[in-house]
Amino acid sequence: MGMEWYVVRRVAWAVVATYLAVSLTFGLLMVTPNAGADVAAAQAAASGQDYDAVRERYLERRGLDRPVEEQYIDYITNILTFDWGYSFSQGEPVLAAIGDAWVYSAQYFVPAIIISALLGYGIGLYSALNRYTPTDYLGSFVAYFGISIPNFWFAIVLILLFGVVLRLLPTFYDSSVALLSVQNVKQLLMPVVVLSTASVAGQMRYSRAQAIEYARSAFVKTARAKGASEWRVLTRHILRVALVPLSTILIADVLAVLFAGSFIIETIFQIPGLGRLALEAIQQKDTPLVLATTLIPVFIAIIGNLLQDLAYVALDPRIDYGDR
Amino acid sequence: MAGDEPAPDVGTARTAGTGFERIDWTAVDDADSTVPPAAVAAEALVFFSLVAAFVYDYVILANEAPTVGVVGWDVTGVEWLLVVVLAIGVFHAALPLARNRRLTAYYWRQFQKNRAAVVSLGFLGFVFLVGLVGPLIWTAPNEAIDYAAAYQPPVFAGGSWAYALGTDAQGRPLWHLIVYGMRVSLEVGLISMVFAISIGTVVGTAAAYFGGYVDEVLMRYVDLQQTFPVFILLLLLIYLYGASLLLIIALYGLFSWEGTARLVRSEALQRGEEAYVRAAEAAGAGRWWTIRRHLIPNVSSTVITAATLSIPVFILGEASLSFLGFGDPDVFSWGRTISAGRSDLPNAPWISTIPGLFLFLTVLAFNFVGDALRDAIDPR
Repeated sequence: MGMEWYVVRRVAWAVVATYLAVSLTFGLLMVTPNAGADVAAAQAAASGQDYDAVRERYLERRGLDRPVEEQYIDYITNILTFDWGYSFSQGEPVLAAIGDAWVYSAQYFVPAIIISALLGYGIGLYSALNRYTPTDYLGSFVAYFGISIPNFWFAIVLILLFGVVLRLLPTFYDSSVALLSVQNVKQLLMPVVVLSTASVAGQMRYSRAQAIEYARSAFVKTARAKGASEWRVLTRHILRVALVPLSTILIADVLAVLFAGSFIIETIFQIPGLGRLALEAIQQKDTPLVLATTLIPVFIAIIGNLLQDLAYVALDPRIDYGDR
Repeated sequence: MAGDEPAPDVGTARTAGTGFERIDWTAVDDADSTVPPAAVAAEALVFFSLVAAFVYDYVILANEAPTVGVVGWDVTGVEWLLVVVLAIGVFHAALPLARNRRLTAYYWRQFQKNRAAVVSLGFLGFVFLVGLVGPLIWTAPNEAIDYAAAYQPPVFAGGSWAYALGTDAQGRPLWHLIVYGMRVSLEVGLISMVFAISIGTVVGTAAAYFGGYVDEVLMRYVDLQQTFPVFILLLLLIYLYGASLLLIIALYGLFSWEGTARLVRSEALQRGEEAYVRAAEAAGAGRWWTIRRHLIPNVSSTVITAATLSIPVFILGEASLSFLGFGDPDVFSWGRTISAGRSDLPNAPWISTIPGLFLFLTVLAFNFVGDALRDAIDPR
């Protein structure tokens, strides 16, 4: 089997995975009572209207009283045509609400990914080549610390220290501050540090383990014997092969850490980003918005996994496509 | 076999053969087997009585009546599961370790090389014991509400010994909240771990051993599950069904075994190529026999390490959910206490920080122990 066939199969699998994820959310919605309808009906009942009648009208207006297969086709079509419904809690279409929110998430998300990848791989590779030195032990300590510390508690301790006691940094995010200003950098400092600490640790541990494995391999010894400098050995020989497994953890694990982290960080620092939007949607029982904020991370994860597998093709010429 | 190892008791199986020694292999297997029939019978008895007690509690006893009247302990659904998990632990971890003294001593010597891990193990033993019996000694936080004693600082910050770790906004002693939080963490960590590891091991070995379509279907499913972020799925399901500790535990158990399945599969694929598996197959061993007797025991070091390292992930996950307000409103998770203390951060910082410190240390200890276990039992 050739490379093209492998790429085609991976893309096809991404399409299937997307379809299954969308169907799963539909199935879950079908087997549970409609939370939005209950809220509307309860409000109506409180103002003296008939509970069941309001509930039924609510369902009827949204076409939820039709046969399941009809609703299913409608649902899939709407998702695929980006007609994701109207969010009553935000008072605007779901996609517009997401369009407003993602800027705030990206402000701390992107720096955190870049910092954690550079620091994590950098320290990991360095400790692998300098094993059992004080720097290596310090690196291991940082890794254990980062993996074990609950990020919400870390954030609270940082706020207590730098916000309450030292009064150096603002304790919460102010969305009226200009995007490119010192104030904005200052208020994003703690969120970025908290978010990157967790993912730095994972990448550091993994890249150290990977590099140690390759540092003893024959091709690295050969390169050294031919007089290649340490830097060249690291970048051209070790990193070249280690990047393949390392890209795996960057996508799969880091995305998971960041998604869960964004909910917590946006809650603590009061950042009006995607995580906060999702939590508000859940608290207000705003089903279209809940769905959107569930599906977007899933789509990102699917695309990330696809890109990662395609990156394999470019990074590692040894992969046997027939095996996959 | 190395010289100092005790030879399996094959004396009875040996018959006076002519020329070659003749060995009855089933007898050797029975003698070699680490599980004596008495232990199997005892385990069956324990599980039978557990099921009987559970049925008694749910069918005969009224909903509000305590299960164990003497201490007034009303066993809940999650606590039943914890008891089952502890029983599994006794029969499948503690008993085999106690029976194989020599092996246990060897592992212990290896483990002891890591000083931090030994200290961590001590701390985890403390958390385990307090989490298990603490709720029977100290009163439930809600019965200890005392508004007159609100915001008492801990003893190292000028408080009194009556409230050594201070009190929260409702005057509940922080120590009580921490003890009940230990129980919650214990339940989440252990029960989810047993769920996830069992499913992962079964799926991983099955995929590796059967190969072909079974492998393809199982691993594609694993791919899919890995793609779907568990935390998001949990939030969605809690949104739809409402939060309960049992649901959170079950979801973590049912949706986070893919890593274990992958690990076990790749390990089992390597083991499946080895001579002893080939020999067993050549001797006519069936598939399940090969899996049960040869594959699973040989991937157990991977499984034990994965199990230990998965516990802190579950504990942290539950605490994060509770922190966000999606935890079970009836249990005192550490995450919930930390979240409640946030509004009092400037005037009463101990409410958030002390339970957080316990959470941090517990997770850290599990990570230390897990890594030391890997070094001790996994020679590679």
